[in-house]
Amino acid sequence: MPETNGHNGQPPAGGANSGGDGNGGGGKLANVIAGAKAVHAKAHEELKETLKAPEKTDVWKSVLRVKHDETPRSRALGVLSNVFLHLHPAKINRDAVAYKYTWGMGGMTFYVYITLVFTGTLLMFYYHPSKVVAFRDILYLENDVPFGKLLRNMHRWGAHLMVIMVELHMFRVFLTGSYKKPREFNWVVGVLLLVLTLLLSFTGYLLPDDQLGFWAVTVGTNMARATPLLGHAGPFGPQLGMTPFNDVRFGLLGGSIVDSNALLRAYIWHCVAIPIIASLFMIVHFWRVRKDGGISGPAPVQLEREMKEPRKL
Amino acid sequence: MSDQDKDPVVHSSLSRPLFIWSALLVLSLAWGLYDEMYGIRPWKSYQAKFEKLYGRYLKQAMTPEAQAERQIKSSPDYRKLDRQMQAAERQAMPRAGEIDKEVNQTLVPKILALNDPFQEVRSHIGSLTYEIEVSKSQGRKDSLRKQIDELKAGTRKVKLPGEDNAREMKFAEMDALLQAMKARKAALLQERVEVMKAATELRAARDQYLSDRISGASSATLANVQNSLDKFDIRIRQIHIKDVDLVDRCESCHLGTREPVQLTAAAMGGNEVFTSHPDKELLKIHDPEQFGCTPCHGGNGVAVSSVVKAHGYNEHWLWPLHHKENIEAGCQQCHAREIVTEMADTLNAGREIFRLRGCMACHRYDGFDREADEISGVNQDLRQLAQQKAEMLRQAGFDDQKANNPRISDAEAKKLFQDASNLRVRTTTIDAKVEQLDMREGELVKEVKKVGPSLKEVRMKLNKAWIPVWLKDPHTWREGTKMPTFRLDDDEIRAISAFIWQSGVEGDLPHQAPGDPEKGKEDFETRGCMACHSMGEGSQKQGGTFAANLSREGEKANYDYLVRWVHNPRQRTEPYCPYEKKDLTAADYARHGLPFVFDLQHTKCPNDGHELQVQQMTPMPSLRLTEDEARDIASYLMTRKRAGATYADAGFMDDPSLKNKGLEKVRFYGCAGCHEIAGLEEEQRIGTELTKEGSKPIERLDFALLGHQAEDQGWYTHKGFFEHKLADPAVYDKGKEKAKQDRLKMPNFNLSKPEIDAVTTFLEGSVDSTMPARYFYAPADQRQDIIEGWWVVRKYNCMGCHKVHVGQTTIFDSMTRYQDPDWVEQKPPTLIGEGARVNPGWLMRFLNNPALSETDTNRDGVRRYLHARMPTFSFSDGEIRTLVRFFEAMSSQAEPYIAQPLDPLTDQERVMARQLFSSEGAPCLKCHMTGDPKHDAKATAPDFTVAKDRLKPGWTRRWILDPAMMAPGTAMPSGLFRAQGDHMVFAGPLPASFNGYTKDQADLLVRYMFQFTPDELSRMRASAGGAK
Amino acid sequence: MDLHQLWTILSTPDNVPIVLLLFVVPFYTWYGLRQAFANDRLIAELEANPEMAKTHHRKVQPYKQGWAKEVHVWPYLLRIEFLAAIIVTVILIVWSITLNAPLEEPSNPTLTMNPSKAPWYFLGLQEMLVYFDPWMAGVVMPSLIIIGLMAIPYIDANPLGNGYYTFKQRKFSILTFIFGFIVLWVSMIVIGTLIRGPGWMWFWPGTTWDHNRLIFEVNRDLPDIFGITGRIGKIVFGAIVIALYVAAAALLIHKLITRTEFNRKIYKRMSVLQYVVMQTFLVIMLSLPVKILARQLFRIKYVWVTPWFNI
Repeated sequence: MPETNGHNGQPPAGGANSGGDGNGGGGKLANVIAGAKAVHAKAHEELKETLKAPEKTDVWKSVLRVKHDETPRSRALGVLSNVFLHLHPAKINRDAVAYKYTWGMGGMTFYVYITLVFTGTLLMFYYHPSKVVAFRDILYLENDVPFGKLLRNMHRWGAHLMVIMVELHMFRVFLTGSYKKPREFNWVVGVLLLVLTLLLSFTGYLLPDDQLGFWAVTVGTNMARATPLLGHAGPFGPQLGMTPFNDVRFGLLGGSIVDSNALLRAYIWHCVAIPIIASLFMIVHFWRVRKDGGISGPAPVQLEREMKEPRKL
Repeated sequence: MSDQDKDPVVHSSLSRPLFIWSALLVLSLAWGLYDEMYGIRPWKSYQAKFEKLYGRYLKQAMTPEAQAERQIKSSPDYRKLDRQMQAAERQAMPRAGEIDKEVNQTLVPKILALNDPFQEVRSHIGSLTYEIEVSKSQGRKDSLRKQIDELKAGTRKVKLPGEDNAREMKFAEMDALLQAMKARKAALLQERVEVMKAATELRAARDQYLSDRISGASSATLANVQNSLDKFDIRIRQIHIKDVDLVDRCESCHLGTREPVQLTAAAMGGNEVFTSHPDKELLKIHDPEQFGCTPCHGGNGVAVSSVVKAHGYNEHWLWPLHHKENIEAGCQQCHAREIVTEMADTLNAGREIFRLRGCMACHRYDGFDREADEISGVNQDLRQLAQQKAEMLRQAGFDDQKANNPRISDAEAKKLFQDASNLRVRTTTIDAKVEQLDMREGELVKEVKKVGPSLKEVRMKLNKAWIPVWLKDPHTWREGTKMPTFRLDDDEIRAISAFIWQSGVEGDLPHQAPGDPEKGKEDFETRGCMACHSMGEGSQKQGGTFAANLSREGEKANYDYLVRWVHNPRQRTEPYCPYEKKDLTAADYARHGLPFVFDLQHTKCPNDGHELQVQQMTPMPSLRLTEDEARDIASYLMTRKRAGATYADAGFMDDPSLKNKGLEKVRFYGCAGCHEIAGLEEEQRIGTELTKEGSKPIERLDFALLGHQAEDQGWYTHKGFFEHKLADPAVYDKGKEKAKQDRLKMPNFNLSKPEIDAVTTFLEGSVDSTMPARYFYAPADQRQDIIEGWWVVRKYNCMGCHKVHVGQTTIFDSMTRYQDPDWVEQKPPTLIGEGARVNPGWLMRFLNNPALSETDTNRDGVRRYLHARMPTFSFSDGEIRTLVRFFEAMSSQAEPYIAQPLDPLTDQERVMARQLFSSEGAPCLKCHMTGDPKHDAKATAPDFTVAKDRLKPGWTRRWILDPAMMAPGTAMPSGLFRAQGDHMVFAGPLPASFNGYTKDQADLLVRYMFQFTPDELSRMRASAGGAK
Repeated sequence: MDLHQLWTILSTPDNVPIVLLLFVVPFYTWYGLRQAFANDRLIAELEANPEMAKTHHRKVQPYKQGWAKEVHVWPYLLRIEFLAAIIVTVILIVWSITLNAPLEEPSNPTLTMNPSKAPWYFLGLQEMLVYFDPWMAGVVMPSLIIIGLMAIPYIDANPLGNGYYTFKQRKFSILTFIFGFIVLWVSMIVIGTLIRGPGWMWFWPGTTWDHNRLIFEVNRDLPDIFGITGRIGKIVFGAIVIALYVAAAALLIHKLITRTEFNRKIYKRMSVLQYVVMQTFLVIMLSLPVKILARQLFRIKYVWVTPWFNI
């Protein structure tokens, strides 16, 4: 390991000795021994220092850039220089830490999303999106796969939890009026994220290929056949030449009935497409939170009389 | 600053909640872990428990076994065997020892020592050779070759163990030496085997002796089990079947299933779960490694997380475990085409009820009552063909006309004439088809049977006033009758009986003189009527359940008709033409100037030449009784009535206004399913098809208002649905507001609990199987004949009189009269091994005409001495073929049968045989019939004259050697012969003529019998007389 | 009273989230409004007392001289987030151990489940199907909900209540949102889950979900009630009725948003576009409860019957 003492980087003396000229008998041997002793002592010394103050070593420094002491500077740096934490500012409104205000729903939603990605990925190892084995795979998940049952349950309940949290998050944001200037657009992104969350959950519903999912999806997609203009049962759909075999529902299911194609499509939407899209929007969402001046409050209350005149366009 | 000045945000500590929740997190993780390891893995504790119990059981099982073994081991025989074995071993040991020594101490080490240097050189040479092959330049090749030669030439120092100094060896030498030593080793080992041979065989013999005498598991087996138990590890035990991708983990808990030791619940401390499979035989046929568990038993083979889930009793699982009482439902899935499946008695009972009680008359079920379906098919084809033919002829006619039209050219005319004649030729092929269909129809009309009697003849047959009473509730009038109780109100009963009465055909019955009831009773009880019919009510009841109980026949029947019926039940008043769908009257025949004659010889319809139904569609056969006997029996039956039974006058039955309502009702209740009714011959079945009822989605079974109750009480299952429906067919009308015609029609069959279980089993097993073809029982060999044969055997109730398979009892066994030793001999013969016994050609003739005579029909072809008589069933040729093949297959006889020739008798041999037959020692003629009337009167065994075309020689020989073994309790004496050297000799005193006769004497008799002639018989009688 | 039935409904694993909603939503509503009222009191105080308004830090949260206005994210925020993460994990794990995700029969297109329900979060829409045709309930409404939500920040002209809970300053918007979120969305989910049984019939909690149940319900089209026959007549009539409704609704809404002095002030700040958009969405949103009432009280099926679509 590259544990050279940080203060003097000169090569160890031992090397010099051993590389010495090759004449003489006993004297040479003595030199070698002496050199070896010196090297040993030095190595021992370095090791002691390293252990005493590991944070002084280059390895340490290369990984953790800043000191971790109580000083405000390093506290700030600790957050700023950390890839995960840096979506936080170094300091925030003293009251913004109050759960009372934030309800913490946004953060928790994100956390649940991560656990879903995690469990979902593991589930993908055991699941084939095919009419033949999908159902059986679930049985195996329940009975064979180590922690398979727990995984599946966590994934499903996590999904439900996420939906609930997203809705509550939106509720809070509305109650605190946080969508107002300058955060209008982030609210829009948030709404999209809500929709994506629902779609994620919905596409996952079909995957076990059991009666529950099958009919839930059938009911769901049957609405699509009534899409105005685009569905064969919707207003002006037939007039536009929509049939069960070319309308939007057909596009969604990859067929006129919920079958293997639908299963495959649901799988891909659920495991690949929507997660990517959702992640992108999340990035934007978080980014905008910071760019729009961090979390909205709790801001000092404004008074009616202080209301400014609207800028005329 | 002071405390309340401290900034709560900065100074408040979260460590407590953090700590608590972290603790909770750890706990929940631990819980998750536990759940994973044990919570959803209950089988682990099962296995631990099994190991403990099994171990304990083995210990206590060992001791007695060990004792038994010790006894045997101390027995002289065993000792002797053991000593011999020991001796042989001792005697072989020295040489064996030497061999072992040389091999292990000398050869093996040397070979090992030499191998390394040899291999080294060899691989080097190998690489160089490769170099040669790939190198381009000739020079290089040469130099490489040289190198190789050097290598081969060069020597190596090899120090072989056992040799004091190393030797210099060339490659070739090493090779040679190595081969030599290996050869030597092989030779020695071979020799060792030879040397030990005797000992090994003796050891085998000794162990065989032991295992032969130890019942159950020998302590050796127990020891093995014990060993495997010591290595017992807790893991999923599963059967995986690739082609079905079936995974069954049943044995993860049911660990005893396939143990070599038969484990009972008692042995396993009352734990049912650990018992062995109750029927090892079944397991042999259906090896779990090929079939798995769930295909037969149901349940969720993959699931191991809980008992409920594994047994598939959880909601949403479609294939729950079959309950004990319905366990044979599993068989039906793959044995769907059988009426009798071995080892599945409950299921067979269910099928039989479904067939006999007439379920199949309302509910279609693949394979049941197929003749009826086929007939309608055939008639359709016939009609189509007729049409086709007519069209062709018309076309031909048109062509002729066109051709004759002068305005067309010769060429065209020729062509048209040609077409016309072609068409006419083609019609002849249609005629051929029609002929075939007619023949088939001829068979079918013979084969098709109705569950109940024909109602066309009620006017002649029945006491008019009785009909409404009967309809009201058949089961109170005649308990256990096939006829179910319909939920009819009085109007319906009036209407129906009126319709039936008025739709009956008129016919003039000859007036019969009264017979002798006493003789009738005797005949009824001994002729074999009671194999199907029962007599007497309640505890007095005797006889079979296949047909009606006749205890009250006198109240319902009309004597004259009864006589006719007893004499020939198949006799019809008017023939029915399936093609025209009507009964033919004398008028129809007269129109074609034909006499009104129809019987099995005259089956063609005068109107259209197609086959007629000339028989009653009843399985009841003709016993070939004389008119007098018929009268006697009829008179006897007429005496069978309850004292003072009276019937209200039923004049309303002639009220024509009721007829149509009646017709409607009869249609509605599907009476025509079981009965032949004028005008309703072609009625369709009124019930739902049940072929796949067991796998119908539960949502499609209409529990009506009982659904929730069923769920609460846990019978919201197929089983529950069937059981409740069968117990009370109207149950799902409970609480419903329905008009009469919307109510459930199914009548009440008053089935007993076991009967209900049987039918439930049958229906539960009737599923739309997802199993691959190889699971289904569709044998290509003789076993197929057995499957088909059973249908006929069941149809005509052969098992009422005959034992058809081992372990079965007949009605005669249960009748008090036949318990009496004098009567035991009067039981009809057993048919076990019939296929091996009789010549199929003869059997065919016999089944066709059991009298074996066109003229003298009032007799039994084989056993004239029996009171019970083999009746004439007028089988169709197809049925006869099926039956013969069935018996042949049952005793696994090769098809077709070719009699092996017997070498002819020399005159001298004939004399000997004759003398032996009639000798005092072998009183064959005491029992066997000789054709001498006054002797035959007391004879109790068949006539030798029939033997030669009836029997198979091989069987005959085996029979005379040891009859008791084939038919326990037979009067034929055993031990007539004893073995002498390689041939059998007669055990009794031999006639002098036998001196110096060295051939097999059993063979002699057989050959004699098979070259027997009537005059030989007389000659023998004479000599017998002489002997006396 | 069929408690068994009630229990089976409530204990169905997939219904647990709804049961959860029943508690969580009211709680957070109360939780938020409580702070809103606290703030309102403070606002009232400050309105009354300009002096105080100058000096006060204008939050309900306590503040003393010398306390940092801002605190470090590490550790003061992160520790909370960490705690939250742990709690969520615990909840999730325990939930997953104790309750199994449902798995029913293998899918069988020939066997319709009764009732066959969409996932719970779409039950609001499925419930709407009772009152509107699929194209309306399944497509138009959902899209409008999404667009409407997106539009909120752009049509809310009220600058107050930005970043703090308040009720007094945003009465109208908050009431509208609560109406939309809780009354129209959550409660319809609850109805769809707990009350709609076989055949999508209405079963009061505690009554048995009987598959055989039959109910007599004729829903008639409004034109028929008024005895209007003939296609054109119906189209025209329907159009008129709809128009009337729109007018009435718009008027009502206008009254509402110009009720108080303050509201009028906000109203003045609105651009025409904002106003129109807001009206549109509110009118449509209001149409849902109106239709529900029309159906439940007067058994009206369609109001506007045309050959192409019905409303």
